[in-house]
Amino acid sequence: MKLVQKVKVKNALGLHTRPAAVIVKLLQPRKSSVLFNYKNETINARSIMSILMLAAQKNSMIEITVEGEDAELTMQHLLQAFEMEFGEK
Amino acid sequence: MYLIQYLYEQHRKDLGLVLVAGTSGLSRRINKPEVHRPGLSLTGYLKGYVGTRILVMGKQEIEFLRGLDSKVRKERLGAILTSSTPAVIVAKGGLPSKELIEICEKKGVPLFQASSNATNLLSRLTFLLLEEFCPSVTLHGSLVEVFGVGVLIQGESSVGKSETALGLIERGHRLISDDVVRIKKKEGAYLIGSGPELTRHLMEIRGIGIINVAHLYGAVCVRPDKEIDLVVKLEEWDDQHFYDRVGLDEKFIDVLGVSIPYHLLPVKPGRDVVLLLETTALNHRLKNMGYHSAKEFNAKLLEAIAQRQKTGSVRETR
Repeated sequence: MKLVQKVKVKNALGLHTRPAAVIVKLLQPRKSSVLFNYKNETINARSIMSILMLAAQKNSMIEITVEGEDAELTMQHLLQAFEMEFGEK
Repeated sequence: MYLIQYLYEQHRKDLGLVLVAGTSGLSRRINKPEVHRPGLSLTGYLKGYVGTRILVMGKQEIEFLRGLDSKVRKERLGAILTSSTPAVIVAKGGLPSKELIEICEKKGVPLFQASSNATNLLSRLTFLLLEEFCPSVTLHGSLVEVFGVGVLIQGESSVGKSETALGLIERGHRLISDDVVRIKKKEGAYLIGSGPELTRHLMEIRGIGIINVAHLYGAVCVRPDKEIDLVVKLEEWDDQHFYDRVGLDEKFIDVLGVSIPYHLLPVKPGRDVVLLLETTALNHRLKNMGYHSAKEFNAKLLEAIAQRQKTGSVRETR
């Protein structure tokens, strides 16, 4: 199953090291492949360095592509993390 | 999409650009990596004229325009400066005429004055634009220079790419980028890989965190970019898969339309991946020097068999 959805970076500091670590951690037990697309750059969301490279600031839109057997649950967890501002709220 | 504004911001210093008129057109797109000296077009000959190129006017063009009647000058300039002209750059030694400034301002074509001469400007702009327009892709993997061979290490997350790269650095090889590699196809023939500016020479090692390799191991262990000669994919050892045992057939992988030698390297406890990668790189160098270990041995073996057959048949006839 393949899911594609756009999500907004809501936390004030943008996608810095801690949010990147949160994303990588929540993806660890998941089986699906997860890609982020931002400014024509597509990266593997399981790699901290790749997420950091995007340097996405607050209010930027990131397109998430999840593909695999647990795509739905993975997407749900990811959207929740973005919504909760990675615990920085 | 590359805009005149980006060119101006990134290269205003090295090209010595000063914006003279047409500020409103800074958001014009550069659609072609081509630069044109309008020479002939200024005489009124416009057959086959391509309006989407950046125009560079040298001393000669400016002098020629000066010699024209003001009305004709306006006409000719009006004809070559279209809505798709990205910009006009006047080289060193030429002063843009009043009409040129007026038309550029009116039509919103950015007009620059440069500090280098036309020939120099032409070659530098072509080089810059070709660089900007070459096909590129961002791949997940680590790029390391091993014995002078550019090796792109790929594989699933947590298979040990970063750890392998770190092991190689410790042995004196060089890191170009860990985890994210930007690859550009140069001159349509070869690939150059580099790391993104922001995360350059940084590595993430599980259990340690983010480390800066250039600081830890010194400048000798890093380099900004490198041609990619070899792709090695690491994967967890799979008992069902038959791994290459002889190396007679060479496999290739397509990256941006360029064929690159490819090796699948299984990882399991007891296999020293760093050593295996060094060996793969060395073997690649040896092949490039004209010596193919597997093929060479096979030829020798075939010869020995043929020899035996000959002597064997002699014995049988006795």
